[in-house]
This record gives sequence, structure tokens and C-alpha cells, in this order.
Amino acid sequence: MSTPALDTQPLRQDEEKRTPDRSYGYRRGRRVDALTAAAFLTPGMLAFALFVILPAVGGLVLTFFQWDLFGAPRWVGLDNIIRLFGDAEMWQALGVTALFVLMGVLPTILIGFVLAVLVNTKLPGIAAIRVFYFAPMIASAAVSSLIWVNLYSTNGLVNQALSWIGVNGPNWLSDLTWARPALVIMMIWGGLPLVIILYLAGLQRVPDDIYAAASLDGASKWRQVWSMTWPNVWGTTVLIAVLQAVSFVSGSFEIALIMTDGGPLGSTQSIALYSYKVAFGQRDIGYASALSLFQLVLMIAIVVLVRGIVRFRKERS
Amino acid sequence: MRTPRSHSVLRYLAIVLAGLVMATPLLFMVSGSLKSAAEINAFPPPLLPETPIWQNFVEAWNYLTPRVILNTFVFSLGIVGLQLVLSLPAAFALAKIPFKWAAAVVATLVVPLFIPGNLTLIPLFVVTFQLGWLNTYAGLIIPMAAQCAFAILMFREFFAGLPVGLIEAARIDGASWGRVLTAIGLPLAKPALATFCSISFLTAWNMYIWPQVIAPNPANRVINVALAPLAGGENSMISPSVGLAGAVIAMLPVLIVFIVFQKWYLKGIVGTGLE
Repeated sequence: MSTPALDTQPLRQDEEKRTPDRSYGYRRGRRVDALTAAAFLTPGMLAFALFVILPAVGGLVLTFFQWDLFGAPRWVGLDNIIRLFGDAEMWQALGVTALFVLMGVLPTILIGFVLAVLVNTKLPGIAAIRVFYFAPMIASAAVSSLIWVNLYSTNGLVNQALSWIGVNGPNWLSDLTWARPALVIMMIWGGLPLVIILYLAGLQRVPDDIYAAASLDGASKWRQVWSMTWPNVWGTTVLIAVLQAVSFVSGSFEIALIMTDGGPLGSTQSIALYSYKVAFGQRDIGYASALSLFQLVLMIAIVVLVRGIVRFRKERS
Repeated sequence: MRTPRSHSVLRYLAIVLAGLVMATPLLFMVSGSLKSAAEINAFPPPLLPETPIWQNFVEAWNYLTPRVILNTFVFSLGIVGLQLVLSLPAAFALAKIPFKWAAAVVATLVVPLFIPGNLTLIPLFVVTFQLGWLNTYAGLIIPMAAQCAFAILMFREFFAGLPVGLIEAARIDGASWGRVLTAIGLPLAKPALATFCSISFLTAWNMYIWPQVIAPNPANRVINVALAPLAGGENSMISPSVGLAGAVIAMLPVLIVFIVFQKWYLKGIVGTGLE
């Protein structure tokens, strides 16, 4: 396939600004462009329509049906949505989801920030050492579950470490009180690498000269970090807060499914996991879709809330 | 007063110590994978095995089966390859071929980036199920490869940065758009390709929930689906150290890709975070 040189000539003029050139060559060039663009876009857009747009719309539509995947779907109107509010298991799952976020996001941000400041240096060999900091990111849910199940076992490394300071550790994953914090600690570990990477990128943009004045004033390094570095990466912090909140809402469900199956007594069953079980355990596709929709509303609420807090802080300062 | 030298030694120590704490679970995985059944259940647990039991890896390999490993490679490389096919031409068209609806297409592509994958898991499963793709490679690969909005937008941004003159010159010389893409666009896109392929491969290799719901059959299982039951304590026939050996096997390919492509991978991660 080759295009005569003539056709491309008016195309350049078009780049500058739509010239009202309606010559034969111009129109043919435009048509070749449009056809080629269509051909280039078709495979990607077909896949996108079938497996992204259709499921997004479908998820919404399924909320209004009762369906077990095999029979004919039955229209039930708003029943599934009304059912949400009277469902005790949903409220418990909502509570678990909120606790995951409340217990997880802040520690991940603070620890991640401190670690990023720590490794933000040009000491020799730092690139190799950073791999240790980033490595948890590439452990899959199944791999990290295999590891942490062993760490949390009654004889595991965690209880061993606790016994050094005289604490008799629980049987973490089957303990009603400790199963949830156990998963949160594990998720913090898995989430830290991304937070460190984003902070490292943020720290690159903090100008060095702000520290010079502080050093002269005799401010300690630790003080400088919190009164100068921290405010300077505020934008990164907001981004990380949103990403982490979303990941604690939805990302918690794979490891909970693998390690505790939501137990003991639903204490680690988030909305995402509940929705998964309703869909693939009970095959109640309509209600599972309603739960997913509810989760989406929740996430949008979090994003709006974080943005609101950011704006509030800006107005006050 | 501390000298700058002693200061940097202290900092060095802190960095190494914190790094060791971060890496403890992974180091434990490696050490545990070589422990005997008695050592892995002992209290207090020994830091290192007395004699490394390589037999654990043989048993893990036998439990996983070569079929599962092959499936995982087909699945991951299939997703990377298909995403390239779907996204490269589309991205090039959006960046460099002048046509009417480019802006509208880009706007449509941006929307799903903000919807986490597990929210559309159920309807995506329904679509794939209706196509009759349960327990097939097509069902495993195509719906995941189709989540390529990120790839299209990333490559579009890269192509948009290519100098216009270069492409015009080729067009004036009579090169078709397809030829401009393959002869000019792709060779210049090597850094973007390295970023994309490493991220896409790692994501695909580590997927659990999609292969679990769409291909639970032993013949189509991928490594994470095969390993997950070992962490839930459902399979007490397998020693925990064999499970950890399986985890090491599952992590090796991604670790190698991560170390080799680290520079490009991290660049991509930062780029997506900043959007």
C-alpha cells in the first residue's frame, strides 16, 4: 500500500489550520487518512466495546434483574438495591471495608514517606538495596498469601518475634480480633513499594535550596523532613491517599479470599469479597451486581471526600 | 558533633536495616522453601535450613505440573502480545493520523481507567461465559487483553512526541501509514515498548481472580490458581515448605523481568500514578 506523494501535500496545510482547500487531492488524502485511521482503530475499539463498555453497561443493567446465569433473567426493578439496605451481611461487610481503609491507609502513607526519604540518597549501592524495598510489589496475591500464612501460623516468625518481647501471639488468621489486623499489616507491606516509588518521584521535584536556609537556622534533619519536605510533597500524598484508599477497598479481597475466605465469622469479608461470593457461590448475579454498584458509589464518595479535604486545607492556608 | 561521614554510615545502616525488614517475608520464603518438614514446623523456627532440601522444588514442580507453567506463559505472553496488536496501531492513529473523531475516542478511553477491575469482574465474566469461552485460552486471554485503554493512551502519548517532520517526510516519499508505523514509529518506540511489556507481563503473570473464575479446570489453570489452595490450608497433603518452593517458582520469572526492566518499569509506574 503506498500513497502518491501528491496526496500528502494538502495534508500539511491541514496541520496548520483547516484551510478551505477542497481540491481533489486534498479530499482523497483525507479519505485515505480516515480509512487508515479506522482500520488501525477497529481491532482495539471492538475489543474495548465488547469487554469494557458492554460489561460496564451490563453491570448496571444486571442490577435490575434476578438471574442465576443459566435461566432467563427476570426483571425485579429496584428490589436488589432495596435489599442492600436490609442485609445485615452487607452492613458487616461495609464495616469491614471501612476498617480496612481506616487501619491501612494512614500507616502506609507515613511509613512509605519515611522510607522514601530514607532511601532518597545517592550513597553507593543504593540502586541494588532499593530492589529489596520494591520487591514486595511483584509478589502476587497467591505468593504473598503463601508466605504470610506461614509467618502468621501459631509457630510462625511473627509469634517468634513477639515472644522475644514476652508476648504470647494469637493464632492470627483464625482469631476474631486479630485476623483483620493481620491482613491489614500484610496489605501495608504489599502497598509500600508503590508508595515509596511515588514519593521518590515526588521528592525529585523538591528544590534542594530550601534545606540550605534551614540548616543555617540549626533545624534538625528530622524537623526539616516534617516541616519542609512533607508539605512540599503534599500533591503526591493526596494522589497516594486516593490510590491506597481504592486499593484497600477493592484489593483486599483477593488475599482475604485466599487466606481466610472472609472468616472468621465474616470479620475479613469486605464488600468486594461478599459480592464475589454472592456471584460465584450463590450465583445471584443481580444482587452481586447491586453490591458492586454500591462499592463504586463508595469509591466515588471517597475520591470526592479526599478532594474536599484538599480544597478545605487550601482555603485555610 | 557528628561528622558528615559518620552520619552517612548511620544512614546507610538504617537503609539496610529497613530494607531487610521489608524483604524479610521474601527472604523467609526462600529459606523456608529449602527447609525440611520438621524445620518448617519447629518453634522457634530456624533462620536457615541445616541442609537445603532441594527435593522441595522437585515436589513443587510435580504438584504444579509443566502444563500449569506452560499455561501461565501462554496466558501472560498472550496478553502482552495481543495488547500490542490492539493498542499500537490504534495509538498511532490517534496520535499521528489526522481524522475527525480522535479527541472523542481518547475521551472514551480515559473513562474506564478510573473503574477498578473487580467492579466489572461479574459482567465481564457474564460476557465471556455467554461467548462459551469458559475453560479456554480465548476466555483467559482475550477479555484481559481487551483492557488496553491504558496501553493505547500510553503509546499515543509517546507517538505524539515524535517529530512531525519525520513522519511527513516519509509520507511525501510515498510510505503508507502502515509502513510509517512499522519502519519509523516502532523502532523509535523501544523505551515505551520496554515499559509497557514489563508492566503488562508482570500484571498478567500475577493475576489470580480472573483465571480463577474463567479457567478453574486443571488443564487451563495458571500458576497462581494452582498455588492459592495451598495458602488456604485446603491441601494438608502438601508440606508448607513445598508450597513456599512453589511460591519461589511463581516469583522467579517476574523477578527476572523486574530486575532486567527495572528502569523502564518504574518509569511507567510513576507515569500512571501521576496521571
